[in-house]
Amino acid sequence: MSLASALKTRDVTELPGKRDEDWRWTDLRGLIRVLPEPSPRFTGDVPAGLFDRLAADHHVLVNGGDARIEVAAGRKSLAALRLVSRGAGAHANRVTITLAAGARLRLLETYESDAGSVSQTTLSITLAEGAALERIVVAQDHEDAITVSQAEVQLAPGADFGQTIAASGARRQRLETRVAHPGGRASLRLDGIYLLADKRHSDQTTVVTHDGLDGTTIQLTKGVVRDQARGVFQGRIIVSEGADRTDARMGHHALILSDRAEVDAKPELEIYADDVSCAHGNTVGALDEDALFYARQRGIPETEARAMLTEAFIGQVVDRIWFEEARNVVRGWATRALGV
Amino acid sequence: MVAVKKTVEHVASLEKYKHGFVTDIEQDFAPKGLNADIVRFISAKKDEPQWMLDWRLDAFERWLALEEPDWAKVSFPRIDYQDSYYYAAPKEKVGPKSLDEVDPDLLETYKKLGIPLREQEVLAGVVGSPKYAVDAVFDSVSVVTTFKKELAQVGVIFCSMSEAIREHPELVKQYLGTVVPVSDNYFACLNAAVFSDGSFVYVPPGVRCPMELSTYFRINAENSGQFERTLIIADKGAYVSYLEGCTAPMRDENQLHAAVVELVLLDDAEIKYSTVQNWYPGDPETGKGGIYNFVTKRGDCRGDRSKVSWTQVETGSSITWKYPSCVLRGNESSGEFYSIAITNGRQQADTGTKMIHLGANTRSRIISKGISAGRSSNTYRGLVSAHPKAKGARNFTQCDSLLIGKHCAAHTVPYIEARNGQSKFEHEATTTRLSEDQLFYAMQRGLSQEEAVQLLVNGFVKDVLQELPMEFAVEAQKLVAISLEGSVG
Repeated sequence: MSLASALKTRDVTELPGKRDEDWRWTDLRGLIRVLPEPSPRFTGDVPAGLFDRLAADHHVLVNGGDARIEVAAGRKSLAALRLVSRGAGAHANRVTITLAAGARLRLLETYESDAGSVSQTTLSITLAEGAALERIVVAQDHEDAITVSQAEVQLAPGADFGQTIAASGARRQRLETRVAHPGGRASLRLDGIYLLADKRHSDQTTVVTHDGLDGTTIQLTKGVVRDQARGVFQGRIIVSEGADRTDARMGHHALILSDRAEVDAKPELEIYADDVSCAHGNTVGALDEDALFYARQRGIPETEARAMLTEAFIGQVVDRIWFEEARNVVRGWATRALGV
Repeated sequence: MVAVKKTVEHVASLEKYKHGFVTDIEQDFAPKGLNADIVRFISAKKDEPQWMLDWRLDAFERWLALEEPDWAKVSFPRIDYQDSYYYAAPKEKVGPKSLDEVDPDLLETYKKLGIPLREQEVLAGVVGSPKYAVDAVFDSVSVVTTFKKELAQVGVIFCSMSEAIREHPELVKQYLGTVVPVSDNYFACLNAAVFSDGSFVYVPPGVRCPMELSTYFRINAENSGQFERTLIIADKGAYVSYLEGCTAPMRDENQLHAAVVELVLLDDAEIKYSTVQNWYPGDPETGKGGIYNFVTKRGDCRGDRSKVSWTQVETGSSITWKYPSCVLRGNESSGEFYSIAITNGRQQADTGTKMIHLGANTRSRIISKGISAGRSSNTYRGLVSAHPKAKGARNFTQCDSLLIGKHCAAHTVPYIEARNGQSKFEHEATTTRLSEDQLFYAMQRGLSQEEAVQLLVNGFVKDVLQELPMEFAVEAQKLVAISLEGSVG
């Protein structure tokens, strides 16, 4: 059951739907009655990308294809990866990213789609011992697009993986990250932001499996939904038997700014080892009326006060991006997406 | 040497499962297996009216079309539903008129379990000690219900389900199956077809039930399942506190317990429902035997400002599949769920709650404490949802898990669905093991390791224990100690 296999066989019954536990809030089967024709080859120019200015190494996939990014041992790299859909077709992307021992990579990834497109991106990311990767994803899809991105991340001991996904939603948007965490002082940060308006939907799903001693994971996802938008967060942390001294923390916090918006969350812990410290926190609610009152009585008009508080709420996640220039780009994107 | 002797005595006194005896009593069985004729047999045995039989047969038809759910984090071999007795009752001599006519073996059983069935026994204690009425269910039938007269004086109906169907058909017809519909889920549907007995409570408007009501469930017969059905109705402004206890003999086979509990609350009503579940958990080493506890419990806050409070201490059963829920339909209604779930040996528990906010300004609170030891698995699974109309809904959830030992598992699976901008949901969960520092501190103050663990565990579950009625709290605290016996060292 996956969009990838449905695209291959062109059989809609292969699509995951709400009866599949992992897709209960992101129903593709009920939505896609007929798969669009495969996207044609695209030869024209694509407009400039969000991170063009920052990266030296550019990988642009338009209407499907394969990309491979490799960083040799001890080397440093800064790459931009653009996954673009043009027209209302269906296609799949496959991306392989390999970091050799001690290699460092900053990956700036964007999703850009057209109305009616259906795309699946499968990423396979491998970090060797002591390698470090910061993956910053901005998914700026069309409101009528269907986008699924699934990343499988394999960490080696001592590796360092940081990720921030910023999404503004689509007709259906699923951004999934699965990490095999070997412990051994490898560290993992998985962050997310979703800012949704109109009838947009966005689903951020993460699964982290701790298989060894001394692993750490920190996760923080924040979302703001308005109008009739729907935000979904599913986070699962698995600690296998023997993966002692694991320290894992997950947080998901969402603001609902209208009466018809919806947030669904499932923060899961699955623990098979006893010497661990795992926790998750989840809050969903409106803007804090007290904070709003405070700002207003200091002379700040209500709309401005709301914008300020919302931006500060999201700012906590943006601030955790290590790469400063990318942090500024994401901050700018968030300000535009919030419409402040 | 005195200390050593004392320790030996203490350990010996902590029997592994002290309710594991079997009562040798003459019993009536339905033929083994399950089909429409068995459903008719049960209905006929209970002398039920036609409408009740039709209801059962309809449920049985629906059950045949359902599939056993497999989403819970528990694993067990497929249940052969044809290899069990669906009705087992102690043979009685033309319906006992008073307690004196009840089979002395039965009375002895309840005495051994510490359940007072003679009203004077309850009163014989300290002057002013709290009274509580008991409905005792032995396998498929209710054997006795105490204090009925005293309760009737204030208009409270407390009787067995079979009696309610005979004596108060209008109430039963009006409410039965309205909270947990017949085809709600596989096990509830099975229950609707073959349920044998259970308790029925009706508290009239404005009445505060003068004593605690309780039901004591006992599975005794071999190869049999227990399917009881409880219905509690609290009319406008009524209040009742209800306790439930359960035990079973130690047997090598698995026995099925699929109960349904329905609570109905009208305006300003309140029901406090406490459970101490101590079914036989199976052999701790091999996992052989034990009860499959697949229970559907739901409270429906139909009236404004009504309140349901579930408190459960789950220590027994080889497999627990249980989610006492609150449907918060009335405006400003509230639901509470306090739970301690302890698994040891090879036990598996998947338990939690559902708080469904439908009315405005509804509130709910979930405090769940899970403890896993041995090779057991303990899952908290919960749903908190707010409908678009549930403006001002509030929920607070805290679920903490404690792991004792290297081979146990603890899982937390909460679902949160917020569908309006004026509700506020907070959830926090932690999973840790017992703190080495605290253990060390307690032990260097002279406590044995076992005692130190008990002390810390009791501290861990205190928030829930204090929600239990007095007499249950003491029992529950002891149970916690027994359940964890052998889990350290």
